[in-house]
Amino acid sequence: MKLERITIENFRQYYGKQRVDFAKEDQKRVTVIHGINGAGKTSFFLSINWCLYGKSFENVKVVDNVGELMSKEAVSRAVIGETVRTSVDLAFLHNGERYMVKRSLQGIKQEDGTVRLEENDNFTMMRTRADGQAERINNPIGTMNSILPVNVREYFLFDGEKIDNFAKPEAAAQVKQAIYLVLKLEILERSRRHLDTVATEYRKELKNKSGKELRDLLEQEEKARADIKKTKDRIYDLHQEKESAEGKVGDIDKRLREMENTNTLQQQRDRIERELKQRRTEMEEVVSTVRDLAVAGFFVVAEPAIKKAIQLLEEKRERGEIPSDYRQQFIKDLISKMVCVCGRPFMDGSEEHKALLAKITHGLPDALQDEVLNTCAVLHAFEQRTEKHRADLDAAMRRRAELVDIIRILEAELDDVSRQLKGSPLEEISKLERQRENFRADIQSNTLEIGSLHVRVDDFTKQIAELKKEIDRARKEEKREVLLSTKLDLAQKAADAIGEMYQTFADDMREKIQEKTKEIFKKLVWKESHFQDVKLGPEFNLEVIDRYGFSARPELSAGERQVLSLSFIMAMSRVSEEEAPLVMDTPFGRLSSHHRNAIAEHLPTLADQLVLFVTDEELRDEARQSLEPRIGAEYRLEFSPRTSCTEIVEVR
Amino acid sequence: MQKERLTKLFETFDPAVRSIVLGVLDIEQEHISMEKPRVKEHIDEIVSAVAKKELERINGQEPA
Repeated sequence: MKLERITIENFRQYYGKQRVDFAKEDQKRVTVIHGINGAGKTSFFLSINWCLYGKSFENVKVVDNVGELMSKEAVSRAVIGETVRTSVDLAFLHNGERYMVKRSLQGIKQEDGTVRLEENDNFTMMRTRADGQAERINNPIGTMNSILPVNVREYFLFDGEKIDNFAKPEAAAQVKQAIYLVLKLEILERSRRHLDTVATEYRKELKNKSGKELRDLLEQEEKARADIKKTKDRIYDLHQEKESAEGKVGDIDKRLREMENTNTLQQQRDRIERELKQRRTEMEEVVSTVRDLAVAGFFVVAEPAIKKAIQLLEEKRERGEIPSDYRQQFIKDLISKMVCVCGRPFMDGSEEHKALLAKITHGLPDALQDEVLNTCAVLHAFEQRTEKHRADLDAAMRRRAELVDIIRILEAELDDVSRQLKGSPLEEISKLERQRENFRADIQSNTLEIGSLHVRVDDFTKQIAELKKEIDRARKEEKREVLLSTKLDLAQKAADAIGEMYQTFADDMREKIQEKTKEIFKKLVWKESHFQDVKLGPEFNLEVIDRYGFSARPELSAGERQVLSLSFIMAMSRVSEEEAPLVMDTPFGRLSSHHRNAIAEHLPTLADQLVLFVTDEELRDEARQSLEPRIGAEYRLEFSPRTSCTEIVEVR
Repeated sequence: MQKERLTKLFETFDPAVRSIVLGVLDIEQEHISMEKPRVKEHIDEIVSAVAKKELERINGQEPA
């Protein structure tokens, strides 16, 4: 991130629109903004923070306890009811792309002189694409977190007077947090933890599934298909045997028809068999009719209830509690014409008139009356249908009984013919008939077995259809299971990979920061021979070791603590290799001239871009001279006691 | 840059694992300012996408 330009409008003491262009060239990377105490350095510094993050960002307070952000001058100049607006525009470069962020807040001036502000400020973030067109960024929070997260910003945009915190003995947690955030150890740690959680959830989900189900179902389907094939093979064999037996019976019949002694009996048998076949066909039809009538006759069950309902309605009608079959409108028409239903006129107050009026009085509303009359009609139709259905069923049952008798008689006649033929004195005839009887028995037995085997085939077919549904479902489950298993494997490997690399990376970062902090600290501190070493232990304690090998941190002066903190921050910035500006508010406030000079000399080489908010006293003499060649932009904040406003004056 | 350093850190790992690690690092970076970020769904999306590609790759290698 490299700051390009900021435009402030009506922000605190900055009335109107004012602009600052930041120095960003490699050789001239320092911007100096100086002003006396109260001139507006902190407000300017605040405007950068507010523009990027607002008053708070994801529960992190950014601008707190600083009073109104809106320029009092702008408010005082506005008339009642007028909209007053404050805004900050910031343009910066990041990873070769240009960004423009704008935050504004507006409100309406009230009669008491205050401003009723809108609830939320307005924030937009734009990025210039490679083709030069600007596009709005839809996820500004995520984008800001990728550029300079709010919790990392304090290591790049900070108040110089408050940066000695890292050097305090109790600051290990803060040092650790800073390293974690700036050097992305926090991101590694969170990634590992969250991947572990996700992998655990995958594992739980996978435990509840089992591939055994699909295997079992496929085995069941295979077995059912084998059974079907076996059954069908058996049916085929039985048909063959049956056809063969029928052929043999046909041959015997033909022989008996040809023989003089048996010709008459065989012809009689042919006739009986034809009739028997016909009757059996008829019997099948009648049984089918009976079955249909029985299935469709559900309303016969309701017959007692229907009869009772009709009886109740009739009773109520007789008592006049519900209307007669005449509709209300018809009765009203008769009364208005004063004519009886038979066409005879009647007088007012006559018996006919009273009877018709009584029907009206006891009548129901038209809609309800329609419902009652319709119900009666429907119930009567049901009653008639029930009677017809019962008559049809009785007729079918009677015919079935008749056919049973007829078939029995015909079968007896056939038996009689067979008996006569078997009892023939001629051996050939009786032998033929016995053979015929055996073949007939085989045919019957085969027919029965074929029938039962067809039922089995139907059962297997249904079972296979059900299994197919189950298999489809289990296959889908298994696909999900394979995917889930792969997800688990990858998530766990990813979590383990981070875990494996984390400590090495963390130790490497810690050592790099330790070395860099030491290098910078030795450059900045004037007692470099006294302070021999800087250590950043495994517990992230920032320690300074003196020439005697003892910890010197408790003895550090406020200025030295500030230098140590600054060294640590600079070290983080250098080690992270992130392109980020260093924006410091009053960095030299508590420093003696030696430290001030050293920092002024080295700071520009340690930051990609430096913005310093300083008082005139902070940056003078040697410090000023050291910084001079690196200054690319310089502004002076001129506070006017007459207007209580600050004007930004460009010095160079 | 730190991001490049992290990318390099995982370059010896299996490409699928590396792809997940780097995707999750990006998601975590976008949510770094939150104390309790809701990133589980995002992570699942990343892992699912990589797992699907991985299965396609494995199935593509299987003999017909």
